[in-house]
Amino acid sequence: MKFERVMAILSRRLIRSVLLTTILVCTGGAQAQPAPGGPLPGAGGPPGAAGPPGEGEPPPFPPLPANAPEPSADLHDFNGTWFHAGMLEFQIKRDMFGNKTPFTPLGQKVIDRRVASLKNGTPFINASAKCVPMGQPWQMDLNMPFQIFQSKDRFDVLFEEYHGALQIFLDTAEAAQAGYMGRSIAHWDGDTLVVETSGYKDGFWLDVNGTPASKNAKLTQRIRKVKTDHWFLEIITTLEDPTYYTRPWSWPRDYDWRPDMSIFREYNCEEQVGAKEGLDWSLIPEPND
Amino acid sequence: MNRTVSVHRGALRAGALCLAACAALLSLSATGAEANLEGTWRIAVSQDAFKPVSGEIPFTTEGRKRYQENKRLQAQRNYDAYDIATARCASPGLPRLMLTPDRFRVWQRSGLIVFQFEWNRLFRQIDLGLTMPRVRITEDDAAVGRAVPPSMGRWEGDTLLVNTEGFGINTLVDNLVPHGYDMKLTERLHLKDADTLEDRVTIEDPEYFTRPWETVVTYKRQPDAAFAEDVCLDRLWSGQPTLPHK
Repeated sequence: MKFERVMAILSRRLIRSVLLTTILVCTGGAQAQPAPGGPLPGAGGPPGAAGPPGEGEPPPFPPLPANAPEPSADLHDFNGTWFHAGMLEFQIKRDMFGNKTPFTPLGQKVIDRRVASLKNGTPFINASAKCVPMGQPWQMDLNMPFQIFQSKDRFDVLFEEYHGALQIFLDTAEAAQAGYMGRSIAHWDGDTLVVETSGYKDGFWLDVNGTPASKNAKLTQRIRKVKTDHWFLEIITTLEDPTYYTRPWSWPRDYDWRPDMSIFREYNCEEQVGAKEGLDWSLIPEPND
Repeated sequence: MNRTVSVHRGALRAGALCLAACAALLSLSATGAEANLEGTWRIAVSQDAFKPVSGEIPFTTEGRKRYQENKRLQAQRNYDAYDIATARCASPGLPRLMLTPDRFRVWQRSGLIVFQFEWNRLFRQIDLGLTMPRVRITEDDAAVGRAVPPSMGRWEGDTLLVNTEGFGINTLVDNLVPHGYDMKLTERLHLKDADTLEDRVTIEDPEYFTRPWETVVTYKRQPDAAFAEDVCLDRLWSGQPTLPHK
């Protein structure tokens, strides 16, 4: 089955303002901020690289060095550093089969409202802007690495972005209480790790434009370790959320093996967001439907 | 058995034992007789401040002035003026993170040692430099410094020697003691026994201290259990303590 990835095409100014508003609000003083029109934090291009990536274009990272260590050949061993090198999808407009996102009327209303807010230059407050955990899709989609530490009954995932953390439990009895990232329970289906997450503390955005998920969403991620000409994790995410979607729907992502990216940059967004002046005042509260 | 064969067999046996011992020694040195620090840990004695192993903190004039000012602001509860970790949930930085009353996990994988803190989902990374140079440290990082710079580590027998520099100036050594861009930390992490981890920290910063000074913190092993999802900003916004204070 051929996978289609439909990219949201917005104006260069709109993308830059959304990302800069969100990222600038959330990156702390430990990171130098880019001048408007300059490289985005985390773009990581060669020093002196001119301009940000184009719409959805992956940042210009160097290839994996030839002497890089390989991951374990064990397909059940996900230990190591992984990185989304693919195009950043600002809005997931189609599922993995090419069908349009199956919004309910409320779902369509919410995404239309959020896209309009971006065009108007008054984006809504969201988890990313508040520097709180933003759910698995957004956490994993931005082009910043994450590390998996695997033990007998648990996967601990640490993200550079927003110093995020995720625990995936193979033993239900050990699972933590649910939070912003829900509660993730997994089992092996052959060589595929099936992770089911529910019990979200709050609704969340799947992507930069704000494709919605309610707190009642159930996320199923099927994760495989694959080797073609390089090692990567393939994750097929399925979202079930009758509040916003007429049926479950799925989309794919690949995450490259990148041990050379294992030293993370600092993401100290609380330094700004926690200040009395707090959030960027161009962000506004969203109506609560 | 004639005497010649017996001598030869004895020599062969001795040689085999020697080879085995040598192999064991080589294996030991190849692994550096490293300790396995992996596990979940918690500070043995809750504390806000580091205590020098002997004497008082050797402040310079500027160091003492800043310390006294921080005490004055603390008495006024004006944390945002000197302690944005408490005021804003910003990263407490190093070495202060090592005083966390919450748990942390140590991961020791692929030439990297990572401390995963329960408090606000923070982490620190220690690069053992065993594989390729890591990318992702930019000139920007070097210019402004970090609350938790990446550390370089190496094993000295069963002690992990960790060096950290490249700090910013928005953090404190602990709840009151100041530091500047030039602070350097040297840590010696060592398992005193299977369930006790010791971190012997040497702090140097010529702007604030007349000489390097040493402090020791001890941690006890905890059961491996799930971490709560700690979001400090939620506590800040609901008026709850961000960091514990005595």
